Amino acid sequence: MFIQQIINGLTLGATYALIALGYTMVYGIIQLINFAHGDIFMIGAFVGVAAVTLFYHNFFLILLAAMLACTVLGVVIERVAYRPLRRANRLNALISAIGVSIFLETFMTVFKGPQAIGFPQVLSNTTYKIGHTEFSNIQLLILLVSILLMIGLQLIVRYTKIGKAMRAASEDYDTASLMGININRVISFTFAIGSALAAAGGVLVGIYFNSVDPYMGVMAGLKAFVAAVLGGIGNIPGAMLGGMILGLAEVFGVAAGFSTYKDAIAFTLLIIILLVRPTGLLGRPLQRKV
Amino acid sequence: MKKVHFLLSVLAVLLIAVLAAGCGGQQAGQSGAGAGAAAGGDTIKIGFMGALTGSEASYGVETLKGMQMAVDDLNKEGGVLGKKLEIIQSDHGSQLSQAAAVVQKMISQNHVVAIVGDPTTGKTKLAAPICQQNKVVLISAGAVGPGVVEIGDYIFRDTLLDSVAAPAVTKYLVNDLGWKKVAIVTSTNNDYSVGLTKIFEKALADNHAQIVDRESIQDGDKDFSAQVTKIKQANPDGIIFPCYYTEGGLFMKEVRRQGMNLKMAGGDGLLSPVLWQLGGQAVEGSMVYTGFAADPANAAPQTKEFIKKYQAANNNKLPDMFSAQGYDAVMLLAKAMKEANSTDPSKFKDTLARTKDYKGVSGNITFLPNREPVKSPVYLLEVKNQQFVIKKVIPTAAPTA
Amino acid sequence: MENWLAGLFNPYFAQVLTMVGIYIIAALGLNLITGLCGQLSFGHAAFLSIGAYTAAILTKNLHLPFIASVLLGGLMAAVFGALLGIPVLRLTGDYLGIATLGFGEIVRVIFTNLKITGGAIGLAAIPRYTNLLNVTVFVVLTVWAMVYLQNSRFGRALAAIREDEIAAGAMGINAMFYKVQAFSLGCFFAGMSGAFYAHLLQYLNPNDFGFARSFDILNFVVLGGLGSIPGTIVGTLVLTLAPEFLRFVAQYRMMIYGALLVLMMIFRPNGLLGGVDFRRTLRRQRQKAAAAGN
Repeated sequence: MFIQQIINGLTLGATYALIALGYTMVYGIIQLINFAHGDIFMIGAFVGVAAVTLFYHNFFLILLAAMLACTVLGVVIERVAYRPLRRANRLNALISAIGVSIFLETFMTVFKGPQAIGFPQVLSNTTYKIGHTEFSNIQLLILLVSILLMIGLQLIVRYTKIGKAMRAASEDYDTASLMGININRVISFTFAIGSALAAAGGVLVGIYFNSVDPYMGVMAGLKAFVAAVLGGIGNIPGAMLGGMILGLAEVFGVAAGFSTYKDAIAFTLLIIILLVRPTGLLGRPLQRKV
Repeated sequence: MKKVHFLLSVLAVLLIAVLAAGCGGQQAGQSGAGAGAAAGGDTIKIGFMGALTGSEASYGVETLKGMQMAVDDLNKEGGVLGKKLEIIQSDHGSQLSQAAAVVQKMISQNHVVAIVGDPTTGKTKLAAPICQQNKVVLISAGAVGPGVVEIGDYIFRDTLLDSVAAPAVTKYLVNDLGWKKVAIVTSTNNDYSVGLTKIFEKALADNHAQIVDRESIQDGDKDFSAQVTKIKQANPDGIIFPCYYTEGGLFMKEVRRQGMNLKMAGGDGLLSPVLWQLGGQAVEGSMVYTGFAADPANAAPQTKEFIKKYQAANNNKLPDMFSAQGYDAVMLLAKAMKEANSTDPSKFKDTLARTKDYKGVSGNITFLPNREPVKSPVYLLEVKNQQFVIKKVIPTAAPTA
Repeated sequence: MENWLAGLFNPYFAQVLTMVGIYIIAALGLNLITGLCGQLSFGHAAFLSIGAYTAAILTKNLHLPFIASVLLGGLMAAVFGALLGIPVLRLTGDYLGIATLGFGEIVRVIFTNLKITGGAIGLAAIPRYTNLLNVTVFVVLTVWAMVYLQNSRFGRALAAIREDEIAAGAMGINAMFYKVQAFSLGCFFAGMSGAFYAHLLQYLNPNDFGFARSFDILNFVVLGGLGSIPGTIVGTLVLTLAPEFLRFVAQYRMMIYGALLVLMMIFRPNGLLGGVDFRRTLRRQRQKAAAAGN
C-alpha cells in the first residue's frame, strides 16, 4: 500500500509540476505571480472536453488542441493585461492578473455553468497489478506525459536560441535587452510554453478525476505556485521537484488521517521553506544590492 | 490638473452616493411598511431558499418545481384567504456565505411570511435562527439531519428524518445484504454528512456490524485515491457514503479504478442524476434511501395525481422527494394560514404545528409536539441503467417525541 | 424628496452602507501595512476572521458587551499579526506576500477544523449588534487614527521604510521594529472590522475569509490609491457598491468586474486618488487665493 500511495502522490505531483512550470518561468523573467495561470489550466480542461466531440476520442489530438488553444490564450492575456504594466508598480500587475483570473472564471461559469461536468470517456481504464500495488493506466499516462513534456522543456531551454534568450532574460532583464534580445518575443514565448503545459495538465487532470468545473484552477494554481516556490522560483527543475514533493506530502497527509487539513499542508510547507530557505530547494541565494 | 482630478473624484463619489440612495428610495416606496410582513402588498409572499446553481442545484431546482406546482394549484382555486400566492425566488449558489445574505434579503426586503428551504440540513440550520429572530416561518422540504426544529418554534420540516430512516436501512443492509463489515466515509465540511455518519455508526453498532474503516473527505475534493486505497486494505463488504452526489460519483469511479466491486449506500444527499453523469458505470447498483419515491402503481390518489401532473410538465420524468416535499410544504403553509385565518406567521405557526395526519403527496404527515414530522416508510432506491428504481420499501418506527 | 429620505433608512440600503463602513475599516488597516509601510500582505482577510470569531465567541458564549468584544477581537488579531510578523517580515516583496497568503489559508483550514468555531458548518445565531451608527463612529475613529499616524513620527518612519528599507536602516530606523508594529496595528483594525462583520451577518464561515477576500480588500486599497487615506475610502465605496449596481447584468457582473480591474490598472495605475495630497492641494489653493488677492 505504501508504494500505491507513492504512485498516487507522484501522479498528483506531476499535475502540480505541469502548472508550476508556467508560474516559475514567468516569474523568473518578469517577476510577476501570474494568478491567472491556474485558470489557464482550467480552460485547457474545458477545451479538452469540447475537443472530444471534434476529434473522436483521439487522446493526442485532444491534448494538442487544448495546448494550442491555451498557448494562444496565454499570449493574448500577456499582450493585453500584462505588457502595458511592465514598467509599473509590481502590485498593479498582480491586481491585473487577479482581474484576468476573475474574468476567466466567471466567463466559464456563464458559458458552461458552475457545476462540474464529466470528461467524456477518452481512454479505457485498465489496472495493472505488480505484487500488492495496483495502478491505473491513466496514472501511468499522466506520469509519462508530464515527464516527456518537462524533458522537452529542458531541451528547449538549454539547447535552443530562444531558450538561451529566456535564461538571459531571467538572469538580468535590462542587460539582456541591451544585448539585442527581443524581450517582448521572449516573454510571449515564455507565456506560450507555460500555458501549453498548464493546458496539458488540465486535460490530464480532467481525464483522471473525470470532473471539470470553472473553479478547478483556483486551488490547483495556488498549490502549484507553492510547488514552484518550494523548488526555487525561477528554477525549472525546481518546479518539477517542488510539484512532486507537494503531491507526495498531500497524499501521505491524507493517508495519515489529516484529510481535513489537506490544503494547509501545502501552505505550511510554503511558510517553512520561506523561513528556512526562501529561495527554495534548488534556487540560488538572493543577493540584495543597494 | 490636480484640481480637476480632485473635483472629478468628489463628483464621482457624490454621484455614486446619490444613485445608491435613489435605488434604495424606490424600493422603500414600493414595498411599504417594515417587518411583520402580513400587511404589505396584495399577494402572500413565500420565499424559496435553495441552490439553483452549484453543487446543490439538483435539490433546489426540484424543490422549486414542487413549490411552483402547489402555488399554481392554490391560485387556480382563488388563492389563500382571498389573496394569491407568490414565490420569491433566490439562489444562494450552494454557498454558505450567500445563504445568510439571501435569507435576510427575503425577510427584510421582500417581506415574506414564510420560507421553504433549505433542502440541505446545514443551510437550514443557518437560516433557522435568522427566521426565528425575525418571526418568519421556515419549513424545510429536505433537511433530514438532527438539530433543526430545536432552534425555535417557527421552524418546521416535512421530511423523513435520517434518525428514523437510516437505522431501518442499516438493518436491511446488515441482515438482508450481509454487510457485516463496512467502511464509512464522512465529508467533514458537510453538516448533513457529519450528522448522518453518527446515526449510521450507532445503527451499525445496534445491528452488530463492524466498521472496519473510517475515511474523511471534503465537499469539493476530487482526489480520493488515498482514501480508497485505505478502504481496499480494510476489505469491507460495502461502503456507507452519507455525502453528496458529486463526491459520490467521483468516489465510486476511484473505487472501480482500484479494482474493487464494492457497492455504496447513502442517503438522499446522493439523490441526483449527476450521480451517474459523473460516475458512469461505477455507480450502477449504488443504493440511496429517500423519504419519498414515485411509485405510481402503489401510490395514494393525491400522489398519483401529483406524479401525473409532474410528468406532464417534465418530459415524463418521475418526481423525486424534493419536488414532492416542496409541494407539500407550500400546501401545509396554506392550510395553516386558512385554519388560523391569518397570514401573520406568529399566528399560523401554531396551526401549522398542530398538523395531524395530513395526506400529502409525499406521504402522510403528522407533527409531533416538538414539531418533528412523522412519516413512513423509507424507500431504498438503486441505480439501474442510469435511473433510480425502487429496490425495497422499508417501514420505519416513529421518532421519539 | 421625502421618498429619498425614506430611502436612506431603508434596511437593505442601511445594510449595504454598514458593509461599506466595515470594509473601510479593514481597508484602512491594510493601507497602513501595504500603502504606508510598503509591506505586501495577501492574508488580510485571515485577521478579519480572527477578530470575527473571537468577538462572536465572546458575545455568544461569555455574553460580553459588544464594544468590549470588538476591541478584544481586534486585540486578538493584532497579537496574531505580531506573531506572524516577527518571523515573516524578514522576507521582502513577493515572498512576504505569498507567505501571508499561505498564512491566510492555514488560518482558514484551522478554523474549518476547530470545534469552538463551529468547524466547516460555521458559527450561526450571532446576535445582531452592528448597526450603521456604531460602524460610522468607528469609521470616523479609524480615519482619525490613520491621519494621526500618517503624520506622526511613526508614519514618517514607515514611509521611509517603504521607500528604501536599507537607506532607512542607515538613517537609524529599526526596520523590523516598525514593520511589526505597523503590521500589528493594521491587523488590529482588521480584527475590529471582522467583529463588526460577524455581528452584522450573524453568521461566520471560514470559506468567507479566503484569499479571494484578501484580494478584494487589496483591490479597494490599490484602486483608491496606495497610501492615500481618502483614496482607500473612495476605493472601498466604489468597489463595494459597483457589484450592487451591476446586479442588473447578473451573470456578467463578475466578468465586468474582472475586466474593470485590468482596465483600471492599465489606465489609472496610481488609483483614483493616488498621488493626490489634500493638504497640499488646499495649501496651494490658499496660496493661489492669497496671490490673487494681491
